[in-house]
This record gives sequence, structure tokens and C-alpha cells, in this order.
Amino acid sequence: MVPLARKTLVYEWRRFLPSLFAVAFSGLLLLVQAALVFGIFESAAVYITRSGGDLWVGHPGTQSIELGRPIPNDTEIRLRMDPDVARVEPFIWIDGDWRGPADRGGLSVFVSGVDTRHDAMVFADVLPPSLRASLDEPDGVIVDRADLAKLGLGVGGRAVVNGHRVRIVGVANGLRALGGVNIVASLDTARRLDNDHGGTEVAYYVVRLRDGADADAARARLQPATATKRYEVWTRDAFAHRAVTYWMFETGAGLGVVLLALVVFCVGAIITSQTLMGAVAGSIREYATLHALGVAFGDLRRVVLQQAGWVGAAGLAVGGVLTAIVVVIAKHRDVPVQLDALTVGACAALVMAIALVSGLAAVRALRHADPAMLLR
Amino acid sequence: MPALVAESLEKSFVTGSVRADVLRGLSIEIEAGELTLVSGPSGCGKSTLLAILSGLLKPDAGRAIALGQDLARLAPLELERFRLHHTGFVFQGFNLFPALDALEQVALPLGYLGLDDATARARARRALEEVGLDNRLALRPAELSGGEKQRVAIARALAKEPQLLFADEPTSALDAANGQIVIDTLHRIAKTHGATVLCVSHDPRLVAHADRVLAMEDGRILADRRIAAADRVANVS
Repeated sequence: MVPLARKTLVYEWRRFLPSLFAVAFSGLLLLVQAALVFGIFESAAVYITRSGGDLWVGHPGTQSIELGRPIPNDTEIRLRMDPDVARVEPFIWIDGDWRGPADRGGLSVFVSGVDTRHDAMVFADVLPPSLRASLDEPDGVIVDRADLAKLGLGVGGRAVVNGHRVRIVGVANGLRALGGVNIVASLDTARRLDNDHGGTEVAYYVVRLRDGADADAARARLQPATATKRYEVWTRDAFAHRAVTYWMFETGAGLGVVLLALVVFCVGAIITSQTLMGAVAGSIREYATLHALGVAFGDLRRVVLQQAGWVGAAGLAVGGVLTAIVVVIAKHRDVPVQLDALTVGACAALVMAIALVSGLAAVRALRHADPAMLLR
Repeated sequence: MPALVAESLEKSFVTGSVRADVLRGLSIEIEAGELTLVSGPSGCGKSTLLAILSGLLKPDAGRAIALGQDLARLAPLELERFRLHHTGFVFQGFNLFPALDALEQVALPLGYLGLDDATARARARRALEEVGLDNRLALRPAELSGGEKQRVAIARALAKEPQLLFADEPTSALDAANGQIVIDTLHRIAKTHGATVLCVSHDPRLVAHADRVLAMEDGRILADRRIAAADRVANVS
């Protein structure tokens, strides 16, 4: 069988180039959008996912980490009484009013107070031991590299938080989150910065269980049984998921993003189908001749769908390369982006579906390939 | 039995509020092994007659019978199969795929007939040899002259070994010399393959190359004459 679809694509590639670009940019838009969505919303959970530990204990009903409220100090004792608990680490979370250089005005910040021991769990992935140790300097804080410009300071810069002086002693990567600037201090420094609670209460305890312990079972044991809970226990994954879900579905941003994805899909489908229909219509007389010679309509349709498939695959390849470039640039600029194989696969399937649906739309152009028109 | 029979064919086209009667009770019988030329001014209905007799168009009234089959009784898929196995077409505007070389153009429909690649290519090569293009097999339409393109189109129709070959203004886009080569090729096909060749044209130069000429005007056959072999221009190709 003469490979009509492929030969035509190769020889008349200019005719199919607009469709290829339409597919490529549909793919780019979908993938980059997905990368941004997951990047942005995953960053809502970045403090949880980049910390160690198995369980998080916080104020009952806390939806997302930045909404943490103080919990009673005796919680720690209760946690330590469980035989499976290997370690309990306090995590202070307070609001701060940052005053930096005079021309920058004030900023609302979150202050995280963390353990400074080298094997601490909170921010285990973000703070290497040496950087963490630098927090032992009284009033020393660490900020995210991406926030330096916003704060108008470099390492060694001085500012005032809640009326107390602090000094930037280091810079970390991966602390940037939704909802504001996050600065990290030692537990002692954080307590000094907390005017409201006199530095006696913490927002979370992070719990590490003994090796081999069942996190779900431990969580069930540690969860207060009374109706009026004074604290709540989540597994690490569940708490991270809770934060992502909160930002995605409770903040209004999520629905907007879904709507945007729908619009992107529709625009991509329309542009792709229009260009593909144009490309197919260019061969309409030849197809009509084949139809006159008795080649079945179904066979002609197969040729067009095959072309759509190739255009889709080539467009996807181009879109994939463009996306990779965009993602690399975004990561370089500390824009939160995240793509996993499942997302890429889903987007690829969606784009391929756009191409094939467009092919089916182009087949409608074939319907007009009535051989009798050649005789008029 | 005649290869093609038209019985009281009627066909009209409606454009807006204007109704044009293209065929008005036309009846003819066309024999196999001959080149029958339907000539007449443009708009006389000759292309419509060809479309109906080849099963591309349905008449409003009357019957079109091809190879003993009443075309109106065939379902769309059966009609496609009928055309695939029995008919070849040559159109004014060659309608070749730009991406395919001459051999592939001709082999393409054969693949849909169910022939394997080797058989299809061999048959395509024979058909191209028959129209004198054996040295043009690997050329694409852009590299062929108008006359050569039309001969590729004829080879494409011929390779299917159809019993019915329909040609619509096959020489209109060609100069005199190429036009003559094309009509002679069609004539030879009628003779050597015993095919029924129905050619529609307003080109008066073709009259001398046909076995039979039907003069048509206003949807009717005005004259039906046979061209004596002695009067026919000798085959030059």
C-alpha cells in the first residue's frame, strides 16, 4: 500500500506546519499550566514535604500550615508517652511585622522557629546542617534566596521583626511559599520575636516514629478521643495533602485554574482543527478522484486521521521540548513549577486527543469531496 | 448487451429560485470496445450524463444501467465497490497527489483493490508503459508536463483494468499535440482492452478520433453518428 498520509506529510510539510505549531503550543500551554498549578499549589505544602518526621500535630482543624495556632505545651508530654514515638520536635509558627530598609516599608512575614540540631526534622531538606547551625547566632534568621530582593537586604543585612532586631545569617533555596515571605529562626530567636504568647507556646509538633512503626496506627492512638480536641494529629502526607487541597479548592484559585485549562483545551482544539481542516481541504480534489475511483470513504478518513496522528505526535515532540526549556528557565528563576510523569502523560493524551478530534473535524471537509464536483 | 444504458434520464438543478433542467428524458445505449464521444457546448448536460452513468450522481427520473446493474438499486457502499472494480476516471484537472511519483499515483488505487505491493507496482508499471511513460516512473507531478500528467491519470484509471472508462474533458488543459496523444491513448484502450470508453468534451478536434459521436444540446441527444474507420485519423502514438 502506498503510504499516502506519510508521503504527503513529508512532501507538503509546509501545508501541515500551522497545524503542527497549533498542537505544539496547545501542548506547551497545557503542560506549563499544569507545571505552574502543581508547582504553586505544592508549594503550599513545601514546609511539610521538605521536612522529615512521620506525624504532624497541630491546632484542631488547621487547613494549611500558615494557619497554625498555638497548642498546649503538655501535648509534647502526651506524645512522648507513646511507645512508638522516637522523637518530638517543636515547630514555632508566628506572624511577624518585618521592617527592613526605610524605603521598603513594612512586610508581613511568617517566622518559623526550628530546632538547630544537625539532625532536626523540620526543613531537613532545605537547611543543610552547617546553615542550620548558623541559626544559633542570637537573632539570626535565614530567608529564601528568591525573597532577598523583596526584603531589600543581603546576607548580613539587619532588620526589625515585631520590634526585635534580627540579622540575616544565611540564604536557603526552596522556602518560598504561597502567602508571604517566610523567615526561619532558631526556637530561641522565634520565642523572643513572639510578643503575643510570651514565647511559651508552639504551633506544631513534628513526630518521628520508631523504625517499622505504623504511622496510621500511631496517629489513631495519639488522636485525642474527646469531642473537644485540644490538638489534632495528621500523618505527614495527609497534612501536606490537606494544605494543597485547601489552596486549590478553598481559595477560589483552583476553580479559576480548571476553567483556564478548559479554555486552553478549547482554544487549542479550535485552532488545531481549523488549520488541519485547511491542510486537508488542500487535497480535496485528489481525495474526490480517489473516491470516484471507488476508494471507500472510510479509507480516505483513515488517511486523514493518520495525518492528524502524525501531526499530533510531531507537535507533541516540539511542545515537549519547548516545555522543557520553559521549565528549566522557570526553575532557574525560582518560579515554582512541578511536573511528574503522570501529569505529562495526561497532558500528552489530551493534546493527542485534540489532534485526533481535529482530524475527525477535518474529515467533514472530506464529506464535501463529492466526486461529482469534479465534473461541474 | 450494451455496456451502458440510459433510459429516459431526467435531472435538474435548483439554484436559489432558478431551476435548470439539465437532462430531459435522455436515452442512449453505449457499446463496449468503442470510444464514444459526447460533444456539445458547455452547459448542455454532457458532464451530468457522465456523472449519472458512472454512478456518481442519481437521476431525478429514468434509469442508468451499467454492466447490467441498475445503479439506483445499489447502496452507497455497493456503489463504491462497483466503481472500485469496474470504473476508471480521467478528469480535466489531472488531480494527482503532489507527494507521489508516477508509479505511486498509479499503484495507490490498486492497494485499495486488495493487491499486494509487488503486484500493484508491477501492474502500475505496465499501465505507465502502455501510456508511454516508462521513463517517467520516479517523477512527481511537479516534474511532469501537462500531457504527461494526464497520461499518468489515464494510467491510474487503466491499471485497475476497468470495463468502463469515463473521461471528462481530458484534453481541455492540453495543447494540440498532447491532446491528440491522450485521445489516441483512450481510443487504443477501448480497442485493445475491450473497454467501454465514454468521453465528454466540447473540443471539436476529438471528433475525428472517436468511433461514435453523440452531439448533445439542451439535455437531449441531437445527433448520433458513427465515424467510419477510413475517416478516422490514424493512431499516431
